[in-house]
Amino acid sequence: MLILARLAQMLFVLFGISVLVFLIFFATPGADPAARIAGRSATPEVLAAVRHDFGFDRPMPVQYALMMKRLFVTQDLTSFVNRGQRVVPEIVAGAPVTLSLVVGAAVLWVLGGLAIGITAALTRGGVTDRVLMVAGLVGVSMPVFWVGQMANLLTQSRMHDSLLFSWVPPLGYTPLSEDPVLWFKTLLIPWATLALLYMGLYGRVLRASLIEAYQEDFVRTARAKGLSETRILMHHALRTSLITFVSLFGLDFGALVGGGALLTEVVFSLQGVGKLTFDALQNLDLPVIMACVMYASFFVVAANAAVDVAYALLDPRVRLKRG
Amino acid sequence: MQLKKASSPFLKKRIKKLFLPGICSSRMPEDKSKPVKSAGVKVFCFFFSKKKAFLPFATHRVRLLLLLASGSLASAACAQTHRGGVMHFASYQADGTIDPQISYTTDVWQVLSVTQDQLLCFRKAEGAEGTVLVPDLAEALPEIHDGGRTYVFRLRGGVRFSDGREVGVADVVASFRRMFRVSGPNTGSWYGIIVGAQACLAHPAGCMLEGGVAGDAAARTVTIHLTRPDSEFAQKIALPFAAILPADTPAHDLGTTPPAATGPYMVASYDPLRAMVLTRNPYFHQWSEDAQPDGHADRIEIRYGLQTESEVSAIENGALDWMSDPPPLDRLAEIGGHYARLAHIHPMLAYYYLMMNTHLPPFNDVRARQAVAMAVNRRVLANLYGGPALGTPLCHLLPEGLFGSQPYCPYTLNPGDEWHAPDLARARALVAASGTAGMRVTLIASDRDVEHSMGVYLQSVLSDIGYDARLHAISFNIRDPYLSNSNNRVQIGLANWYQDYPAPSDFLNVLFSCAGYHPGSDASYNMSGFCDPAVDARMQDAMAAELTDPAGAARMWASVDHDLTGRAPSTALFQIHWLDLVSPRFGGFTFSPISHMIFSKAWVQ
Amino acid sequence: MSDGPWAVAWRRLRRDRAAVVSACVLLAIVLGCALAPLYARHVAGSDPFRPNLDGSVVIGGRTLDILQAADNPLHLGSAPIGATWHGAYFLGADGQGRDVAARLLYGGRNSLLIAGAATVVCLALAALVGIVAGYAGGWTDQILSRLLDILWAFPVYLLAISLSVVLISQGLQLGPFTIEADSLLLPIAIIGIVYVPYAARPVRGQVLALAQSEFVLAAQCLGVGSRRILLRDILPNVASTLIVFAPLIMALNLLTESALSFLQIGVQPPAASWGTIIADGQTLIYVRPLVAVAPGVMIVATVLALNVLGDGLRDALDTRAKLRV
Repeated sequence: MLILARLAQMLFVLFGISVLVFLIFFATPGADPAARIAGRSATPEVLAAVRHDFGFDRPMPVQYALMMKRLFVTQDLTSFVNRGQRVVPEIVAGAPVTLSLVVGAAVLWVLGGLAIGITAALTRGGVTDRVLMVAGLVGVSMPVFWVGQMANLLTQSRMHDSLLFSWVPPLGYTPLSEDPVLWFKTLLIPWATLALLYMGLYGRVLRASLIEAYQEDFVRTARAKGLSETRILMHHALRTSLITFVSLFGLDFGALVGGGALLTEVVFSLQGVGKLTFDALQNLDLPVIMACVMYASFFVVAANAAVDVAYALLDPRVRLKRG
Repeated sequence: MQLKKASSPFLKKRIKKLFLPGICSSRMPEDKSKPVKSAGVKVFCFFFSKKKAFLPFATHRVRLLLLLASGSLASAACAQTHRGGVMHFASYQADGTIDPQISYTTDVWQVLSVTQDQLLCFRKAEGAEGTVLVPDLAEALPEIHDGGRTYVFRLRGGVRFSDGREVGVADVVASFRRMFRVSGPNTGSWYGIIVGAQACLAHPAGCMLEGGVAGDAAARTVTIHLTRPDSEFAQKIALPFAAILPADTPAHDLGTTPPAATGPYMVASYDPLRAMVLTRNPYFHQWSEDAQPDGHADRIEIRYGLQTESEVSAIENGALDWMSDPPPLDRLAEIGGHYARLAHIHPMLAYYYLMMNTHLPPFNDVRARQAVAMAVNRRVLANLYGGPALGTPLCHLLPEGLFGSQPYCPYTLNPGDEWHAPDLARARALVAASGTAGMRVTLIASDRDVEHSMGVYLQSVLSDIGYDARLHAISFNIRDPYLSNSNNRVQIGLANWYQDYPAPSDFLNVLFSCAGYHPGSDASYNMSGFCDPAVDARMQDAMAAELTDPAGAARMWASVDHDLTGRAPSTALFQIHWLDLVSPRFGGFTFSPISHMIFSKAWVQ
Repeated sequence: MSDGPWAVAWRRLRRDRAAVVSACVLLAIVLGCALAPLYARHVAGSDPFRPNLDGSVVIGGRTLDILQAADNPLHLGSAPIGATWHGAYFLGADGQGRDVAARLLYGGRNSLLIAGAATVVCLALAALVGIVAGYAGGWTDQILSRLLDILWAFPVYLLAISLSVVLISQGLQLGPFTIEADSLLLPIAIIGIVYVPYAARPVRGQVLALAQSEFVLAAQCLGVGSRRILLRDILPNVASTLIVFAPLIMALNLLTESALSFLQIGVQPPAASWGTIIADGQTLIYVRPLVAVAPGVMIVATVLALNVLGDGLRDALDTRAKLRV
């Protein structure tokens, strides 16, 4: 029952988002969607045909239904700007790029977050702790596109000829299947950029919950039993602390895979879903925008659900009681 | 054409000595064809014989480049040694549909020029030589009868499409019909004089061009009848809109599906978000080196989506061979210095201009328009575009170096032949006289870096002369449709225009004739909505005179140009010079005024 | 009120050195930006909104062109004057020949104004939605919560960019009211809306918990009106949460604003914000990286100070409210 309710809620949210996107782009006061379908050298005849095709001469709900039908049922929704270009395969083609970026970055930031959090918790109140916490905050406080730009400035231009960065290939994406080494090299800087922003946050969250856990009874009991500090940390404190860590990770990961990495992809010329969305927004390519946003919110919603499940698995005290 | 198109006027003088006697006297060197009676060619002959000292751009530096370029041409002669290899190109963005009868962008035309063929085409060669018409799928230049109203072509035998079928007379006839059936952007304005065209324009779906285009399969001839003589018809059917496609090509926009090719290359795959791949057309054999030379590289990959910064870096270190985009401004210094040997600069028959809507205040008042023309600092704009090497101030509406263009600049301190400096005092006086001071003016510019920064500057000029000016940046991809459509009520906008083929009408008639103004349409290149039947009549006269009295025609065009410049429906800002950047291993760089860098002449090994 | 909870919190905050330092940094940044016109007139000596492309400036007795032609064999390109470390063009000029230091201060005004105003919008909406949903319960809560769910699942940047693309391209017409495309109200409204679920969900949770707490139930039994309960018992608790959220939300807003402006769909030229200056600097990054570096540093400093202040406030007010999760 719970799962069914959860599923219904997911579907409802997805439906709500699709309506919202549709309203933003098709029903904003003063916006004429037809005027935006201004593909290159489109003649009035072509425009009229496209208008009819998308049912712009029909009432809003019909337009919405047509759009959804073409997006999900027939899957033949095509781009306004690159006519003949199907939208769904584009997203399918962009997904591996985004996944490569986000998964790699996630590995880095989770490892980094764990290291920072644990070190800070162990040296609580000391200099290391403070430095780590400030550094973490700095990471959270940086605009990602700016960090990417600075990384490019250093690795592509200023210090590209130095020993440190001469290995950095030109921007762009190489599929893993084509050349794993190049794939790794091109993604390392973007990974580091993205991870830099999240690492500190995760370190801080972990430290806070570790310290909280240390004050709980079961840790005191463990101490009284004479267990070693490392064992207490790894087996008791860390396990409960991971709950917040994991739920935070789920949400961030979902949002990033869904297109939250848009700015990173743009700055590093990675042709993922985020870049696809960005290009579509630039050209006001409505079908692509629609599809990208639906895809993105699917991941966010799915991540929310996954977090709930993880919550329940990690902490038996919680039984799917969130929001 | 709105994107990059090019010409090399500085070459013409030299070329004239080398080639033109052959063309202008009687025969095409290779094809042993009939004497050329095509009006377009006549105009060129006139052009080179009358205009003596005309080298507006030829600085020492450019001459030096020229020598370098001809050096690589010479080495390209030993073609066999360079055959093979993969060329890696890049473009920031794909340009939409690759339907030859619909696409109207330089990047796509550049590809189409090596994949598709027309009955005629412009010779694939550098400079003025590249503006000469040569027979392509036709065996020879057409016989022209009936006072210029009937063109007879004989189709070459043995040419095959990339699907193996032979190109036949039926394909030619069908292609002309398809041009109308798919409602190409210029079909009406360029090909509307074919007999039967008006019916086709009214009802595109069943277009038959009754009495207009007739094929005789046995004789392999195609006859085209026009309703009246047109001095530029031969040039118009030498461009991709008139490409010959298989008769069964669907009559709708092909979009990203490539049509069957006839040239040395075919589009093997096209994904506008990732890449286009050109491979050899297995059925191609070279029938005319002038029209369609065989390519050197086995494969050409054009990658989309890289930032221009990355493209430059990749070319400099050899990971890419060429980029279709202009290099970003902050890289120009290093290109001009350390990488100068990789750079090729060509002046083009193209300019940036400000369109001013003659139907909306304040620019429905000619004085307001003149004030803007008077106030802009054209040197500053050229500097924002890349410096004096890439832009030359221009006041009038026919670019320097084009037939009929006469130096003229009323919008400067000390008016005369050349632009010197803006005259703000007179500009403010004009605004005051028009009574439009203080009005709200929104300037439209694209969001491309260079154009956006020009927009920011122009906004300050509009403020300076007394308007409440704003800048509205729109996506580059929708710039022209947006500026074109009168429903968007654009007051003033930054645009550019590149020749399709070198003729004054391709600027003045397209941009400022009543026929070019289509209210409410995205494809209305007369963006200012300027319409004066008297000016139209003079342009028609000038076009007619090109057939009979070229010298008179040139004078007539100059006078129309200067008159339009004075009435300022648009004001030209600066003439564009194109910068190509190629990798160190790139050879055979050949820049045609029509199709830009020629893919099939380039090699990488 | 000498020893009320607020006074205790204030004392704690004053003893938190990090929070005090960051408050001072913030104050300095705000003051500097507020004094931008004075700096532009008396120190920089040029109009930071007017392109100055054919002018020159005298630095240390030498006359320098503001747009300097490149010295290369092909005469390609040009670069604006670099940092002079003098009054005029202290940090150099941007691509339009405008004083970067002066624009940085003017840009800061817009960035801070937008982020600040959007924070007010966001927290007001969040408080309204959260309290109504949490206290009213039932269907009202169901509807509001589902709406929040939808907004919550809509990736923040995508929502902000989508709204901006539509609104900034043509302005907004609501009946008789027209908001111009270049009005600062648009980014304020857009950024104000997108983070509402971040704050509204915790507020709703808190109100829900309070409404079922013993002292509220007791008050209800004693016949205290619900308005009084809201004002006396619930609002003060919610207020402390909102105060803790304010700097954190403002930090997020500042980052969002800079991203939108960087993508040219935030503050419109010739007005500046830190994001637009980064975008201007992007086209100069190879020759004059400082133009893009400087506004980034300002953003990081401001956001960092806001985050530290937010932490300090949370410790001082001793709430467990968290913006995320």
